[in-house]
Amino acid sequence: MADKTLKRYFDVLEISPDASVLEIRNAYLLLKKLYSTDSVVISPIADEFSKKERREILLQVEEAFDKLMESLKNKQNEHNHRIRHQPSASVQAGEEDEDVSYSGPELKKIREKLSVPLFEVSLDTKIRMELLKSIEHEKFDALPPEVYLRGHLINYANYLMLNPKKVAGDYLARYRSWKEGKKGGS
Amino acid sequence: MRLQIIILFRGTYRIFSLKVDELREEEEGKIWAIGGGKGGTGKTFLTSSIGIYLAKNGKRVLMIDVDIGGANLHSFLGINRPRKSLTNFFEMGIPLSKLAVNTGVDNLSLITGDVHSLASDSIKFTQKLKLFRHIMKLRRQYILIDLGGGSHNNTIDTFLMADKKIAVLEPEIIAIENMYHFVKNALYRKIKMSLRAYGFKEVVEHMWEQRERYKIKSLKELIDSLKESFSHLGDILDKELADFKIYLVLNKIRSSQDILIGSSMKSIFNKYLGINAQFAGYIEYDDAVWRSIRERRPLMVNYSLSRVAKEIGAFTENLLHEREMKVSRS
Repeated sequence: MADKTLKRYFDVLEISPDASVLEIRNAYLLLKKLYSTDSVVISPIADEFSKKERREILLQVEEAFDKLMESLKNKQNEHNHRIRHQPSASVQAGEEDEDVSYSGPELKKIREKLSVPLFEVSLDTKIRMELLKSIEHEKFDALPPEVYLRGHLINYANYLMLNPKKVAGDYLARYRSWKEGKKGGS
Repeated sequence: MRLQIIILFRGTYRIFSLKVDELREEEEGKIWAIGGGKGGTGKTFLTSSIGIYLAKNGKRVLMIDVDIGGANLHSFLGINRPRKSLTNFFEMGIPLSKLAVNTGVDNLSLITGDVHSLASDSIKFTQKLKLFRHIMKLRRQYILIDLGGGSHNNTIDTFLMADKKIAVLEPEIIAIENMYHFVKNALYRKIKMSLRAYGFKEVVEHMWEQRERYKIKSLKELIDSLKESFSHLGDILDKELADFKIYLVLNKIRSSQDILIGSSMKSIFNKYLGINAQFAGYIEYDDAVWRSIRERRPLMVNYSLSRVAKEIGAFTENLLHEREMKVSRS
């Protein structure tokens, strides 16, 4: 794809062409939410900024994100000869928070979709690799007490540009039900 | 060398002749205007803080307080109201440089406005031009103008005159609404002024006044229909829009979610109005601000290690280097 076209897509997402995958995703999520909901920044001009105009912007945003992700994936395939098999019914990156329940495998899927290796997450978030692995694989017995776990989840969620409250809530609910089950069983 | 500036107004024109060497001798001569529409968002606090930050970093800074709602920049610096004010400039012709007072911070001086002399309509168009002309002649590296609240024409014109247009908001609906109003007003005046040179000022005014007849609902639609009806204006208007660069500063945020309001406003200004908006940074809500005002000791001096002071430093650097805030990964 011509660089010029790509530049246009970066412009649509309002980010610089050297943006990281996470920045791309972050920008995409922000714009998608902004132009699809009646938030406090839209409502003062809602009467003049028509739904139709907003839909058009949304389409451009969607296109830009898809094309950028596609080009990044192609680049990676060419250079690394690493072809990742996307799970067929994979999560659409940027799916509304409300539609997804964040489990360990779900977080893993999102991270993989962003092509971020675990060690990079570990370096950036200062969460130990082992712990991240346990979170993703839901090895609940290897996880720290809830108060600490909560902090790590929020940290990780922020890193993936997900809603931290929702991630921690969903994940801890699973954690607690496992704990309940253990109590009942023993 | 002399530079001639021709200003057209209501069919008549005036020629101002300035000596270039006395104009902005210190070259940079950057005029920054701090406005945004709503009162109480922290414009005066930010003006004083940016001023102190720049001065502490070795710049020569002059602040001019033209807040019509009540000039009180001096209070944020912990000094008493200066006896000399812009009234002396308007009524007695005393040069601006003689009105500047020390602020107690090295390299930082202040000219205060006057509640009465600048009250909305009392200042005439010619007086305003004279003030602008004299401001531009001042030999300071940076001139910060505290506009105060409101979207009055005098406020808007001063904003438009500035090299750097800074709009302050806080994350709540009234400030957001007022900022739209402020920015749209400014854009309308800018377009009108620039199309005047092409003989289209009356057309713009006519279309806007008769907007119901032309089924124009918004400024954006006005711009679109101008482009449609007079295709040769298309490029001119696009350029005017792209040249209209504003820097957003989000004050008093209380959560990381609030920061998104800054990014969102920026996006809407760019995508909806087509102007060039940048999100320069944010400042957290902090009682230290209120405390420092009460203690009459500027936060940038007394709490220079606080988070707020660091955030102010960060966005001032962004303003200096014309770059945007980096959304950091936490």
